Amino acid sequence: MSEVLKGRAWVFGDDVDTDLIYHNKYLAETDPKNMPQYSFEYYPGKEGFAKGVKPGDFVVAGKNFGCGSSREHAVYCLKEAGVPVILAETCSRIYYRNAINNAYPVLFVKGISDAIKAGKLNDGDELEVSLSAGEIKNATNGETFHGDAVSDLEKDIMSAGGLIPYLKSHKK
Amino acid sequence: MGKTMIMKIMDRASGRDVRIGERVWCNIDLSTARDFGGANCCLQFDEITDKQGKVWDPDKIAFTFDLQAPSHSEKVSNNQKIIREFAKKQGIKHVFDINWGIGQHVMLEHGLVKPGDVILGTDSHMNLLGAVAAFATGVGNTDIAASWIGGINWFRVPETLKVEVTGEFRRGVYMRDFLTLFVGEMGAGGLDFLSVEFSGNVIERSSLAERITLCSMVTEMSGKIGLILPNGRVLDWLAERVKSAGGSEEDVRARVKAITPDEDAPYFKTLRYDVSDLEPMVSCPDAPDNVKKVSEVAGAEVDQVHIGSCTNGRLDDIAAAFEVLKAGGFKVSPKVRTIITPSTREVMAKCAAAGYIEKFLNAGVVFTNPTCSLCTAEHYGAMPSGDVGCSTTNRNFIGKVGKGSHTYLMSPASAMATAVRGVITDPRELLR
Amino acid sequence: MGKTFAEKALGKAAGHEVSANEVVTVEPDFCMSHDNTGPISRTFKKIGVKKVWKPERLVVILDHGVPAPSSDHAVNHKEAREFMAEQGAPNFYDVSSDGGVCHQKFPEEGFALPGLVVIGSDSHTCTYGAFGAFATGIGRSEMAAAWATGQIWFKVPESMKINVRGKFKKGVSPKDFILKVMGDVKSDGADYMSVEFHGSGIDEMSVAGRMTLCNLGIEMGAKNAVCKPDRKVLDYIKGREKASNWEPLWADADAAYTKELNYDLGDIVPGIAKPHTVDNYAAIDEVKGTKINQAFLGSCTNGRMEDLREAAAILKGKRAAVRTIVIPASWNVYREAMRDGTLDTLLDAGCIVCNSGCGPCLGAHMGTLAPGEACVSTANRNFKGRMGDKDSFIYLASPYTVAASALKGELSDPREAL
Repeated sequence: MSEVLKGRAWVFGDDVDTDLIYHNKYLAETDPKNMPQYSFEYYPGKEGFAKGVKPGDFVVAGKNFGCGSSREHAVYCLKEAGVPVILAETCSRIYYRNAINNAYPVLFVKGISDAIKAGKLNDGDELEVSLSAGEIKNATNGETFHGDAVSDLEKDIMSAGGLIPYLKSHKK
Repeated sequence: MGKTMIMKIMDRASGRDVRIGERVWCNIDLSTARDFGGANCCLQFDEITDKQGKVWDPDKIAFTFDLQAPSHSEKVSNNQKIIREFAKKQGIKHVFDINWGIGQHVMLEHGLVKPGDVILGTDSHMNLLGAVAAFATGVGNTDIAASWIGGINWFRVPETLKVEVTGEFRRGVYMRDFLTLFVGEMGAGGLDFLSVEFSGNVIERSSLAERITLCSMVTEMSGKIGLILPNGRVLDWLAERVKSAGGSEEDVRARVKAITPDEDAPYFKTLRYDVSDLEPMVSCPDAPDNVKKVSEVAGAEVDQVHIGSCTNGRLDDIAAAFEVLKAGGFKVSPKVRTIITPSTREVMAKCAAAGYIEKFLNAGVVFTNPTCSLCTAEHYGAMPSGDVGCSTTNRNFIGKVGKGSHTYLMSPASAMATAVRGVITDPRELLR
Repeated sequence: MGKTFAEKALGKAAGHEVSANEVVTVEPDFCMSHDNTGPISRTFKKIGVKKVWKPERLVVILDHGVPAPSSDHAVNHKEAREFMAEQGAPNFYDVSSDGGVCHQKFPEEGFALPGLVVIGSDSHTCTYGAFGAFATGIGRSEMAAAWATGQIWFKVPESMKINVRGKFKKGVSPKDFILKVMGDVKSDGADYMSVEFHGSGIDEMSVAGRMTLCNLGIEMGAKNAVCKPDRKVLDYIKGREKASNWEPLWADADAAYTKELNYDLGDIVPGIAKPHTVDNYAAIDEVKGTKINQAFLGSCTNGRMEDLREAAAILKGKRAAVRTIVIPASWNVYREAMRDGTLDTLLDAGCIVCNSGCGPCLGAHMGTLAPGEACVSTANRNFKGRMGDKDSFIYLASPYTVAASALKGELSDPREAL
């Protein structure tokens, strides 16, 4: 797969916790399709995300994205909104599992936290992302970044379509 | 080369000789869900199996209701109902309904947790069960539903950080204060994916409540698990609980032996702390790792004080708050709303028997039923914009308990001292 | 021709003799509001008046969602808090262990006094009729206007007289009686009227029992409901009085009534108001065996000490089969129940004892219902969706019946459990 994804960036800082991504106020919701409307409602300055995000837009964040709660809502709300991949320096453990289990890609990108702080990635920048090559280009200013490769098991789960389909076909 | 505690736990659970960094499939000893996330697990399981499937082992599944107990909304009520019906259909008997309290604590009290167990739950603070050397971890609903199919799930074998805590707490200083210091030093991502082993004389002497406090906030540093080897009265208590649940006391003791880390275990790093000079500490708004001494923020105005949660809602915690209230003349400041939430029904009953509840009520404190309460904006003690709270919970992200509100995290003693004076107060001022 | 209670009470407030159907303007003695104080204060500010006419006449008791179960509730509380402070209004009962459900706290604090005119921005304000007050619920806008002007107009109501004699049999209590009356009178049968309870049956009833009767006045459409302020009432208010202009008033023997009803308490059996109206009465025999998912013991109707004791008498030494939520009507009730062991009995029976407040009665928190679920409740309303999902079911009953039903997981006759 050498497809290059193109879309706008929504840029966040370090330690974006699950309450900022998807607030505990809406935990009773069980249908993933209803979740995007609450995305980033509590993130100061990003209250307009839910209304403004378009399918194909990227979520770009610094270190430890998705820290806090185990709520899978925080993955569903972005996946259902059509955000194709999360680009972050690192991602919290539970958030990462939840993403992989739903075949939702998270690309770990070295140096992206500092790049955000230095203003090299801004809201609205046009990005070109190659998932297979792990390459990210900021078409707005020409900056490029490289993502980490994922381990074989995670890759297998992803390509099976998530943990459930993976288990159905591999483990009995 | 020897093995750390988490490696030995994963050896047992995977039936392999595990190595750091590899992904292994582990057998799950207990796969639990709450009224938060639990409904999704049930719906997802039914969807995968076309409503025909049976869970792999109904005795290894437990449900706990604590997000909203009793429920505060139709949606949560419906989620609770979905769980009750699923449990009934599947013959799952470990259902701790709204009258029990915070899940991990209730399961611990009911003897469902053993050293060396691998436990999943829809709660990012599941890992407080590391207080009895279980590897318990918060996961999403997909992980839980998947585990119900075949009783397995995958984990990466983590590196281990060793933390030795020695010395002696001074009066008015508690495990929570050490924890707050530790969170401040590590930072929100400081234990990323790591297992932590806590040891040293402070840990060996510590109560179950203190161990729970310490292990519960490993999540706030992005750690995988904090483990403490059960010993002394904690081990006796645990063995007794497992036995009354129909388990074997000998098995508990044998498991402790089996997961004791080797002398030459590979630690990624060892950190040493002496708590003898420690002062009461506080996590300032709006992050757990924004740490200062209580004395540095003393005098700051607060609107609400909340004591409880899975981190500091045990009898010892409430007793510590009681001591401070007593020293303060059994009256809280009328400027501050003070709320206490015990972690479980057992804790509540003990508070009643000790005469605490009546004294709290007479002092102007609201004493609630056991539940998660103050950890979300949808339960007791939600705050309006602009209000400042003091809390013994584990997270103070911006707006966590109400948009535009801010929270200081601290020990139960510091929180009660603050309730008595109406401004942030070092508990030693009252206790001396 | 003699005067009814309403004619006497409103006449006293107006300063001249009045008769039914006359319109009078009076100054309220107390204005009660709860968590809706914030919204009322917003309307008040729109009127353009800065100060409440008499701040000491406001009584604000937070109870509908305490401690705040959501940030929206919390914002309302904050508004109330700030408004009371800026008005210098002293009678504010914030979230603390001094609080409770407003209709329990208001009498406990000595605001419910014979002969006073009390208005409240809550429909169950009529509860204070148990103390011989003329007490009635009004809307938020009208409350804002009353704060601004110190005036409220009433059409002096016509009156209904309910004569009560006899004694309850074992396992039967005032709630069963008033549910029976509801079934007879129907939900509009006392529209705009003043309902007076007379007779030896009332004289022998406790003040708490009379509160249960008056509390349901609004469910018949009444403007107010009232019992004679006798020795029991005078004993209760002694030392609590928050006003000095009170005066025991009662109807003359030859007063004129639009309607008169007669009951013997000895004929009353345990009763149920079936979904979804309070007047949908059934004797327990007709509905026995209906499955329930939850039991609720509490509210301004039946959350008092004697209610908890009645339930405890049935639950003692046994286990509830369904989740059973107990909410004492005030923190004073909570304390007393703790002291005399009632709470222990309830906890041992598997009940969940919550902090004092309105709880699930109006579906705000502490036990809302899921679709298809049924609850047996001691509260006062069983409207569709009142306690949660629109497809849930509420059966109203006495504390005895709620406890007996909790034991079996189905509507049950308490006389068999006692």
